[in-house]
Amino acid sequence: MKKTKKQYARYGYLFSIPFVVSFLTFNLYPLLYTVVISFTDLKGVAATEFHFLPNLFQNYIDAFNNPSFVTSLKNTVFIWGINFIPQIVLALSLAVWFTNKRMKIKGVGIFKVLFYMPNIITAASIAILFSAFFEAPIGPMNDLLMRLGLSSKTVYFFRDALTSQGIVAFIQFWMWYGVTMIVLIAGINGISPTIFEAAAIDGANGIQTFFMVTFPSLRPILLYTLVTSFVGGMQMFDIPRLLVQRSGPDNATLTTSVYIYNQAFSGSYMFNRAAAASMILFFIIAVCSAILFYIMRDQDAAALKKIQKARAKNEKQARRSGA
Amino acid sequence: MSKVKKESRTSGRMLVGTVFIYILLITLAVLSVLPFLVMLVNATRSTPEIQQQALSLVPSSHLITNIKILLGGVFDPVIGFMNSMTISVGSTILGIYFSCLTAYGLVAYDWKLRDGFFAFILCILMIPSTISIIGFYQFVWKLGWTNNLLPLILPSIASPTIVFFMRQYLVATLSMEIVEAARIDGSGEFATFNRIILPIMKPAIATQAIFVFVSSWNNLFLPLVLLTKKELFTMPIMVSLLRGDIYRTELGTVYLGITMTVLPLFVVYFALSKYIIAGVALGGVKE
Amino acid sequence: MKKKTRNTMALLLTLVMAMSMMAGCGSKKADNNAGGSGPKKTINLWSYTDEVPNMVNRYLELHPEFGEKYEIKTTVIATTEGAYQPALDQAILGGKTDAPDIYAAEAAFVLKYTQGDMASYAMPYSELGIDVDAKIEEAQIAPYTVDIGKRGEDVVGLGFQATGGAVIYRRSLAKEVWGTDDPTEVAAQIGPGWEKFMSAAEEMKAKGYAMVSGGGDLWQVIRNTGEQPWIVDDKLTIDPARDRFMDLHKILYDNGYMNDTTAWSDAWFADMSGTGEREVFCFLGPAWLINYVMASNAGETAGDWAVAVPPEGFFWGGTWLLANKDGNPEVRDGVAELIEWITLDSSDDGLQYSWANGTLFEDNSTKDAVGSGTVMERSNGEIEFLGGQNMFEIFIEAGEYANGKILTQYDETMNQYFIDQSTEYATGSKTKEKAIKDFKQMVSDNLGIAIE
Repeated sequence: MKKTKKQYARYGYLFSIPFVVSFLTFNLYPLLYTVVISFTDLKGVAATEFHFLPNLFQNYIDAFNNPSFVTSLKNTVFIWGINFIPQIVLALSLAVWFTNKRMKIKGVGIFKVLFYMPNIITAASIAILFSAFFEAPIGPMNDLLMRLGLSSKTVYFFRDALTSQGIVAFIQFWMWYGVTMIVLIAGINGISPTIFEAAAIDGANGIQTFFMVTFPSLRPILLYTLVTSFVGGMQMFDIPRLLVQRSGPDNATLTTSVYIYNQAFSGSYMFNRAAAASMILFFIIAVCSAILFYIMRDQDAAALKKIQKARAKNEKQARRSGA
Repeated sequence: MSKVKKESRTSGRMLVGTVFIYILLITLAVLSVLPFLVMLVNATRSTPEIQQQALSLVPSSHLITNIKILLGGVFDPVIGFMNSMTISVGSTILGIYFSCLTAYGLVAYDWKLRDGFFAFILCILMIPSTISIIGFYQFVWKLGWTNNLLPLILPSIASPTIVFFMRQYLVATLSMEIVEAARIDGSGEFATFNRIILPIMKPAIATQAIFVFVSSWNNLFLPLVLLTKKELFTMPIMVSLLRGDIYRTELGTVYLGITMTVLPLFVVYFALSKYIIAGVALGGVKE
Repeated sequence: MKKKTRNTMALLLTLVMAMSMMAGCGSKKADNNAGGSGPKKTINLWSYTDEVPNMVNRYLELHPEFGEKYEIKTTVIATTEGAYQPALDQAILGGKTDAPDIYAAEAAFVLKYTQGDMASYAMPYSELGIDVDAKIEEAQIAPYTVDIGKRGEDVVGLGFQATGGAVIYRRSLAKEVWGTDDPTEVAAQIGPGWEKFMSAAEEMKAKGYAMVSGGGDLWQVIRNTGEQPWIVDDKLTIDPARDRFMDLHKILYDNGYMNDTTAWSDAWFADMSGTGEREVFCFLGPAWLINYVMASNAGETAGDWAVAVPPEGFFWGGTWLLANKDGNPEVRDGVAELIEWITLDSSDDGLQYSWANGTLFEDNSTKDAVGSGTVMERSNGEIEFLGGQNMFEIFIEAGEYANGKILTQYDETMNQYFIDQSTEYATGSKTKEKAIKDFKQMVSDNLGIAIE
């Protein structure tokens, strides 16, 4: 006895209940806390009273007038950009090579394990290691540069804005490319092999297979990667904060999350301003993500339909050719 | 016939390409492993050695000393391990299971609030955590729920990132015919989810499980603020205690502590890697 | 990876873990059950290292009757992720049964608890029943310690370790340049005041030596000198002494008087053993710098060092002990006893005497400078590292000069901003005007302080 679509619909609600309950219990208070105090003058550690500001949005206006905040936004986007673009290119290439049955790369298993390893160490430890690596006047990188004859004087990497930003971006790249690769591999593995076989039968070569079969089917997962990397990137915190004692020359490595943290914990405990900056960051992320979703939107649903159609078609063919 | 010709022409090109690929892979592998080796080596060196040369690939002889210092203080690997395990395993199981459930609800059914709810989940994902953490720990302190592992485990039930991933995965790979077939066989929706959908999602689950486990295991700040009793310390907390005043830190021991913290993660990763490497393909419908 | 290899590796890792677990089982710490009669009251002690807990344990060993009345519950949270303060604050504010009775605060943030946001929760020592003023007089506690620990007129916190700083210099280099390594004479060559210091630097440079390791070394000294704190009347004020630091920093850089290192880096440690770019004449710091940092990094130069009074007095670091006014009133006496023993007791039985003479624990042979001048006068501060010099003579004097009056709870952050901008100026990336302007901007942006 088939139930109608409507009757099944209630399961959608049912299955979402645990999530909602947990959210309301644990996440609602912190969220409301942040939103509410962004409109107040809450300052100081032991403060229990606070008042709503006469101009509710004062904190928000102050944030935009705050040069450090604006710089932090620029830095965050820039550092994320130079980290993510190489990362997605590399991760995608690796994912394709590792799942390509024709290429038969040896030791795929070992490589996958090794590439994920950087993600296992905590950011704090990584920051220490990398900061020690680029130390001046005596340090391994400087040592290397001198020995290779590339530099005659010590290079103070963390006194230059661009190198500081580059190093932060590199560390983020190094920490996350394995993760991105694994996610993409999971996505590719989820594509039914019959589609690949169909493509092979049709005589498609590697590049054609990638663009016509792999890439479209991978779009939902790609969207996931894009969005989570963007969200994560905009919230970049541990490495920028721990790598350089301060935020680099002229705030070069100041990211927005570090700015928020500084507002709250540099000594003035200005939680209200930190909260307002958090809300602004949230809106920026939300808007950009919405744009991303919009661009990929039609393909999202279309991907679903396409795959289901393709599968049905192939099954019909298989049945016809006498399975 | 034409196929054979094509292959021999491209095989030359393929060889060069393959060599290049191998070089790249090996370089990346070395780059990825190097920091671990440095950490392991540092665990065998003494504090002055590390102070004078922070990174080294040459092991030294202080491993036993470092172990003694490690175990002589507050550091108790057994307790730390058990607590970390409890929190991480709990978070992983709850996070994965309920995220799959929620994601399935978002993909398999058509309901009015569905798209709005999904958008809502995504919004939660985008909330910067820096300051909501403050609200969270103040909340837990006010409830007097400190020194309890539950506030560190239960919130995983609502994990927007995992829901997002599972939903995308299902969109890309789920075929409703399996579900229809199960319904015809008389299976209830919840049972269908548990018996049929979950197994199909194995690669996705394995992938996310590792991420959740690692991030939960390495999480330092919240446990540090919420757990003040020795018996509840997790391994990262214990490692952080090794750093005393900056002038009294036993650096070699710290690295040893970090290494010990990382080891269980390797084990978990190896256990789950079978699913990632083997590549379980979604061939649910009988072919 | 082949199944066999993978399984073997997993097995090996499991074995390693199992072994570490067994090792952990084997090292069960002794229970400190004094096993007395009657219900024991609990004293909650909060600290960020196990230095103070260890002292308290020692007290229990020496005074078993104390252990029969009180049980100590220790909470240690490291300051690494900045998690000690949030937890401590929540515990104090919450005021429940687990609230701390005694808590420790480090120099970096002690102001917040004695004079800043959390100061109202500290209990004056006098209300604990300690005759504070008399004891301070008797023990000759270094003034800066008292100034920092005072909330208005009341002493709410005191430190046990003296962190007044001295010049720690290389004897052989002094002999080469001035023909003497005597501390008084050396002190006269390099100070008082910084002009003399710089001309001494010039003499060092002529012989191919650097005066100091890095600019930060000098900043440690100068940042707390001067007359005015960073904030006066709610406005940012740059005391002339701090302003002049930027000039001094530039002089160091332009004239090559330093190796331009950053504290705690490889190069900085190398300078302690004379294996850096050039041999360095002196470091500036308190006793703990000698005992815990330089001693193990000095290599072959050990024994070639000595201490002298610095061109300007300063202090660096330290731990203060405070009592919670909302703590359990029944344990107040016990709290008073502990605090007095650690911070004010200048007798031979007090903590500071054994701390100074390195006799606190059986295997603790490090002597450290302590807050009480009286104790140091009576103690033997001779250490090999300084070629047998009695360091307490210098550190007693040094403690007198240190200035604890101009601190604010924002110092940690502001000092960091200032040295950063100074570095930019000194190394030629900015003009001094721009450096000061950027400094002010950072303070305004991140601390919300009016800069006008």
